[in-house]
Amino acid sequence: MSLMGSSVAELFSAIDKLRAELLNNVEVLTDCQRVEGEISHGEILSLIENVILGIVTSLSKDEAPFLALPDRSNWANISFDSAIGLRMTLGSSVTTIRSDCPSSVTKFAQILKIFVVIYKLVQSNSYATKRDIYYNNTQLFGSQKTVDSIVDDISCMLKVPRRSLHVLATSKGLISGDLCYMEEDGTRIDCRSCSAAAAVSSNIAGIRNIVSHAKFIMIVEKDATFQRLLDDDFCTKLSPCIMITGKGVPDVNSRLMVRKLWDTLHIPILALVDADPHGIEIMCIYKYGSVSMSFEAHSLTVPSVMWLGLLPSDLQRLRVPEDVLIPLTKRDESKLSSLLKRPYLASQPEWQKEMELMQQSKVKAEIQSLAAIAPDFLTNIYLPNKLRYGGWV
Amino acid sequence: MLREIQQVLRFVQLLGKRRQQSGLNVKGGLLVLVWTETGPSVQSLNCAVAAAGPWCIGINMKALQPDLKECMFPCACPCLPPDPEELCAFTDLYGSLRLLLTFQMKDASPEWCARIETFLHTYSLANAKIKIHFKFKFSQQTFQRDFSVKIKNKAGGNQRSLILDVTCRTQPPECVKKGCWCQGGHPVLGDRLPLSIPPAAMDQGLFGELSIQAVTLLSPCVLQYPNLPTQLTHIQVLVYGPSNVPVTGPSTFFQNLPAHLDCQEVGLHGLHCSSFKDLVHSGGTVYTVEQENCEDPEQESSPAPIRQSLLLYIFLQHSDPFTYQLSDMMATEVLIERHLEDILNNNKQAVTKAVQTELKNTLKAQNQRKKNQQKMRSAAEVILGSSLSIVSSSSNMDFRNACLHSMKMSDTYDLSASLRESLRRVTSWKFTPKNICYSAQVEEYPESDEPTRTEI
Repeated sequence: MSLMGSSVAELFSAIDKLRAELLNNVEVLTDCQRVEGEISHGEILSLIENVILGIVTSLSKDEAPFLALPDRSNWANISFDSAIGLRMTLGSSVTTIRSDCPSSVTKFAQILKIFVVIYKLVQSNSYATKRDIYYNNTQLFGSQKTVDSIVDDISCMLKVPRRSLHVLATSKGLISGDLCYMEEDGTRIDCRSCSAAAAVSSNIAGIRNIVSHAKFIMIVEKDATFQRLLDDDFCTKLSPCIMITGKGVPDVNSRLMVRKLWDTLHIPILALVDADPHGIEIMCIYKYGSVSMSFEAHSLTVPSVMWLGLLPSDLQRLRVPEDVLIPLTKRDESKLSSLLKRPYLASQPEWQKEMELMQQSKVKAEIQSLAAIAPDFLTNIYLPNKLRYGGWV
Repeated sequence: MLREIQQVLRFVQLLGKRRQQSGLNVKGGLLVLVWTETGPSVQSLNCAVAAAGPWCIGINMKALQPDLKECMFPCACPCLPPDPEELCAFTDLYGSLRLLLTFQMKDASPEWCARIETFLHTYSLANAKIKIHFKFKFSQQTFQRDFSVKIKNKAGGNQRSLILDVTCRTQPPECVKKGCWCQGGHPVLGDRLPLSIPPAAMDQGLFGELSIQAVTLLSPCVLQYPNLPTQLTHIQVLVYGPSNVPVTGPSTFFQNLPAHLDCQEVGLHGLHCSSFKDLVHSGGTVYTVEQENCEDPEQESSPAPIRQSLLLYIFLQHSDPFTYQLSDMMATEVLIERHLEDILNNNKQAVTKAVQTELKNTLKAQNQRKKNQQKMRSAAEVILGSSLSIVSSSSNMDFRNACLHSMKMSDTYDLSASLRESLRRVTSWKFTPKNICYSAQVEEYPESDEPTRTEI
């Protein structure tokens, strides 16, 4: 199928129509301005100083100091906002970390240690990764996971984005397509290479001069699918477009990148995930956010994400061979039921229908299953047709 | 003399047991009067033992068999009756006398005072509902002590109900003034250990089932101060016969026991038996716990550990369906005490292991506190270091001044020392009230039951 010349207009007519609808419905600029330049260095330092003053004041009264961390894992602290996604409610429950209790004193010390690191980074306007913090004092922290969790706890406690704390995370995502931008240190990134993808930046907030003519952005769940599309030269065939993967459950930087592209380009964002509960959940993270990062939902979610595929209804429509379909496990069924009860599904009747179809058929399938129809089915038939005829929900 | 007093107590206790008296109702008074004849040379000691109150209901002195009396006091001579006024004061408190036995001993010595006092104190520890009044008059001097237990606690399984004196006699530390201090203790019932009767004892007529029941009592109680370090300094072993009457005399078995204990497994540095001098006023066998040399300067600056002592009760239990006459039961008790060393040696491994287990269980809490203290000490260093780092490197004068003023310090050097001391204080002395503790606001330490010495 030729994708050049006059076909281009036809190919993207549905996409362009979607874009127009989205721009009418969603306020973008206000959010964008609100996210950028929100917290100054002085404010961060002041917030940390307030915590320390609280500790000193407690000791001056002969009281054991404690820290109150908002509980980021409790669904009871989450509410759904259709414009933002899952967000942490005001006055949410807290976990108290006491300094006079053997079971919590180590965590108290770890939190203070990271406060010092952040304080010094912000003061000197330098950056460090979470990995750097861990390796600076492995005996105190015990594991990388501890540092990661505490940095997010501090971000939530102080109500500032993690990037404002000058702590970076190593990105695991990849991006490719019609996109050029400049990193904060001046490095120029060109994602137009056909054969190799660029790593998602560690400092999304520092990205400048984004240039792209892409008609849409495709979020790809798995690295394997992403590489396959890269090998099949998808971005050239469906040019101009951008594709990005978080390699499974996306890290914060991948989510920030998707959000940044949406804020800058205002083009449709379509998700290509496996037709299974895990894939649907990953797509929901991009669209509505996660419970653990709900305190930063406004900068991490893109509620306008559409589900391109692989839809459960596609399996029937395309008559995907039964031998590549996988029965749902008990865990799949449980997750599917849980997803159907999520507050955001109520506003997505089409998604509900697809998920109920999966529940009834009791089967799931990976994107790779389309290769059973034809080796190049995904890149040459499935995706172009989906995009041309608006096959998203 | 102690043997005679022992026999009287056995008599009353066994009589109560025969009547299947509930342990909870075993309360009453015991009067022990010891005096010498007035005159230029003192050669004899007179002793009167009287009992009144619910614990001796059913005792009919007139019906007391002469042979039983002889069994109780085989070596004693009859003596003059005691001062009626003394008895009057006693009956005013407890009602009419149920039992009054008198006897005379030839070997008069003032040393008997301390020995009887120790014996009665040991008895009182395991029979807390009995109020004991002891008066010893030797020449012109009078020693008097009343044993009245402030705090009692029930311990024991179905076989035996024990009312123990759990009053804590340790003064609370000064810094507890604002908080609460548990004035009692919490006995822990150990496992029951069956014993085999050695052939020599069997030849003398000791049959049936013999066992020991261990109970431990740690004092003072610091359950309400979970972060305070503790240090076990002394262990006292008290042995009681089946009638809850203490056995008398030093025990070679228990004196030698430390040599057979695995102190490392228990968590102790070392254990050795205290000298005879210490034993006289202590009752039972007392061990001193060797302490580790503290070389860590950080440890030295931490709060001094609360010194605790452990009371290890060993209750002998015996049952024999063929022994039911009171005189036979008393004779059996005498037999058990006479052969006690032999019995313990015959079951040396099992008894040693049982004591080891009790010590290990007791020290689990102490060892856990030590680990917690180390954890809190290292965390405190990080907490203080981090806080001071931010204060020192801050260019925000308002913040720095607020911190200094809050702690009433003039510079960050003094602030460091002040914060360190405050953190140490608030974390070490964290108070968590416990329902099981016998707490009261510590204004003045309650009156103790120290003896009153009246010298005339």
